[in-house]
Amino acid sequence: MQEEQGSLQQQTGTGVGEYLTFTLGSEEYGMDILKVQEIRGYDAVTHIANSPDFLKGVINLRGVIVPIVDMRIKFKLGRADYNEFTVVIIMNVVGRVVGMVVDSVSDVTTLAPEQIKPAPEFGSALDTKYITGLGTVNDQMLILVDIEQLMSSPEMQLMDVPT
Amino acid sequence: MTQERMESGEIDLNRFNQVFFEECGEHLAEMEQILLSLSDGKPDEEQLNAVFRAAHSIKGGAGIFGFQDMTVVTHIMESLLDRVRNHEIPFTTAMIDLFLEAGDVIAMQLAGHRDGAEVRQEAVDQISSKLRQYTDVKTAVIGTDATETGVTTATDTTSDSQPGCRLFEMEFTPDPDIFKRGVRLEQLFLELEQLGELTINAEISDFPDFGTFDPEMCATCWQFTLKTAASEEDIREIFEFVADEDQLDIRVVSDTQLSDALGDSALTVDLAGIQAPSARMAPLPPSDNVTCISPGRRASDRNETAPGAFGRRSGEADSSIRVGVTKVDQLINQVGELVITQAMLAQAAAGVDPVQYEGLHRGLLQLERNTRDLQQSVMSIRLVPISVVFNRFPRMVRDLAAKLGKQVELKTFGDTTELDKGLIEKISDPLTHLVRNCLDHALELPDVRIATGKEAIGTIMLRASQLGGRIVIDVIDDGAGLNRAKIMGKALERGIAVSDSMTDDEVWQLIFAPGFSTADAITDISGRGVGMDVVLRNVHSMGGRVQIASESGKGTRVTISLPLTLAILEGISVSVGEEKFIFPLSSIVESIQPKPENLKTVNGRQVVHVRGEYITVLPLYGMFNLQTPIIEPDKGILVLVEVEGERAAILVDTLMDELQVVIKSLEENYRKVEGTSGATILGDGKVALILDVAALIDLGKNWSDKDAASLIE
Repeated sequence: MQEEQGSLQQQTGTGVGEYLTFTLGSEEYGMDILKVQEIRGYDAVTHIANSPDFLKGVINLRGVIVPIVDMRIKFKLGRADYNEFTVVIIMNVVGRVVGMVVDSVSDVTTLAPEQIKPAPEFGSALDTKYITGLGTVNDQMLILVDIEQLMSSPEMQLMDVPT
Repeated sequence: MTQERMESGEIDLNRFNQVFFEECGEHLAEMEQILLSLSDGKPDEEQLNAVFRAAHSIKGGAGIFGFQDMTVVTHIMESLLDRVRNHEIPFTTAMIDLFLEAGDVIAMQLAGHRDGAEVRQEAVDQISSKLRQYTDVKTAVIGTDATETGVTTATDTTSDSQPGCRLFEMEFTPDPDIFKRGVRLEQLFLELEQLGELTINAEISDFPDFGTFDPEMCATCWQFTLKTAASEEDIREIFEFVADEDQLDIRVVSDTQLSDALGDSALTVDLAGIQAPSARMAPLPPSDNVTCISPGRRASDRNETAPGAFGRRSGEADSSIRVGVTKVDQLINQVGELVITQAMLAQAAAGVDPVQYEGLHRGLLQLERNTRDLQQSVMSIRLVPISVVFNRFPRMVRDLAAKLGKQVELKTFGDTTELDKGLIEKISDPLTHLVRNCLDHALELPDVRIATGKEAIGTIMLRASQLGGRIVIDVIDDGAGLNRAKIMGKALERGIAVSDSMTDDEVWQLIFAPGFSTADAITDISGRGVGMDVVLRNVHSMGGRVQIASESGKGTRVTISLPLTLAILEGISVSVGEEKFIFPLSSIVESIQPKPENLKTVNGRQVVHVRGEYITVLPLYGMFNLQTPIIEPDKGILVLVEVEGERAAILVDTLMDELQVVIKSLEENYRKVEGTSGATILGDGKVALILDVAALIDLGKNWSDKDAASLIE
């Protein structure tokens, strides 16, 4: 264990870091923990007219208006149920605050670069350009998402198109 | 290391410089404003003092911050001003222009230091020598050294320049208990000083022994010499309530005796430094002679911190604090949160038995009042009177009119109308442009005006007023008015589709097209056609609107209407299905519950007949894809809205509440949502969208007939 940590510290640089793991449908995902602001339960949202279906709406997060997206709808993963276990991850991405609905949040894991393998094409419901790699923790596969890239992508329609 | 220290030192200095630049700008603006208000009439003491103060502050600041070049002009200007306000030099209207010009030069130097703009040294030299001429011609003292020269020199020049003066010698022996009557002698001295040149000698030879001395009794005898053009009567008037006949002795003496009176001064005390004579005198040995010499009313030599220095009345001093805008905004945001929290509490308490929890309800009511007051006070911090903007126009109009050979009178109304600071900054450019347009295009030359039966002097009127939740600013001129044929011709030239059947209003809208200009020649004032579209864009960016009314030969009125503030909105909340929306109160005309017989269909679209007018019905649920059981207009409420002359009836389920909402940005974390201008947080903590009525009407127009038809079915 100590050895592992030592080697971690030696290999400073790319890929070393802590990941928040969450599930969407039957798939396990991981995202950079530094992007996470907080985790909260799913609350009533205010719907936004003429918005894509995966944009659930906006909520009032202590006076700040935050959009909530449901990745299960966006990537057609499992059923988009909202119950007491439904979790919203509030993230800080590209200077904005965005909430993401997930089925559950499981853990925070540390991954060394050698634990991360490149993602094969068609590996998941997400476009591969948003996937930094596949991690393995306790024989379980973890899809590592570049959440910043994903949220700022035009297909999420979260931002005004610069004119 | 040294380098580093130097750098940090420079940064520090720069920070202070910024403050100086700001203050200097304000002083210049103040000076200009006063000078312009002087135009013809004679300036009163207070105005001259104010101009002097401004010049002096600039000089002082420039000296401290090491901008020596700026002190040169200000110094000469200050000297001249000082002479004028001491009536050594008569004030002439030519001086206004001179001082204005000097102000410009100082502003130029300021810009040089601040932005690295070019400074024309010849202009500096020119104005310096012009100012010096004034100072030199009238006095024997060389201009620049005026303030530095000693008391005696100044005294001499004054006596030379005032041949009509007489020298009075006065002796005043006050009651011993004069202080107990609350008489303040220093006030008396100051008044005497206003009349002319004063020397005061306190004769304290009759002073009692220290043992028996009572500091509350006046044991002093005052001897004055006063050189003044005023009569004996004037002097007696000053003493009227202070001295009885027999306590005051006034004699007229000749000039030769003056030097004796000034002669052996044992101790020279600044006049302004005398606070309470009785207290001051107490510790002195009785044998000493105390002579107070007034140094010739030269305020710059006086104790500047004393009340009354620079003619500033104590208490009048500007009591304001400079605070960063971000801090104020933070405060506004936090108060906004407080209002929401208060509303949440009120809602939660609504379900509680008012009899059992009377105290709670009373407390909540008080909380509501207090938060509302707090909110208003905080909002008012950001509000600035529009005079800040209006004040810069007299100068501009004056200069431009002179350049164009036109005669113009500028009238401003509603100067005290308050507007958000952010808006004030942004409205200045569009207004400048409009006023410039009035001068250059609209107003005719005097002979043309007379030929058309108008007064030779044209009028430009700036009028601000508050109309509900909006500020309306009118720019009105009595010039030639817009020329319909010319505008249409130019539009055709530029390939804009026009037709003769266009209404005047539609034609006037053409001048907002980019690059549009009807000026025959491009001048340095206007005519490049970069104007009106910029005006429109700027005003739109502030959530404002522009309207034009014009009549040929009579004049033009451009109306800008702006929201009062960018942070708070008066609105009415409505509900559609599960969702709530906010209508800005300013756009609502009325709301009605239509009768089925008043609903008609035109071209597959629903219209409602209201008092002889047919208005398009726009169902909110349809445009926003909402689920609601109420889809028939006669079951719900029609909110009649009007924006920029366009009307629509928007169908909602119910009206809820009238409320003040804090505007929150949707774009901060999301993007702009069509048909809305932002969002707010309601009392229950939920988000509600604020409707942008103008955008909603546009949305309704593009809303396809198919959509409308499918909804009606």
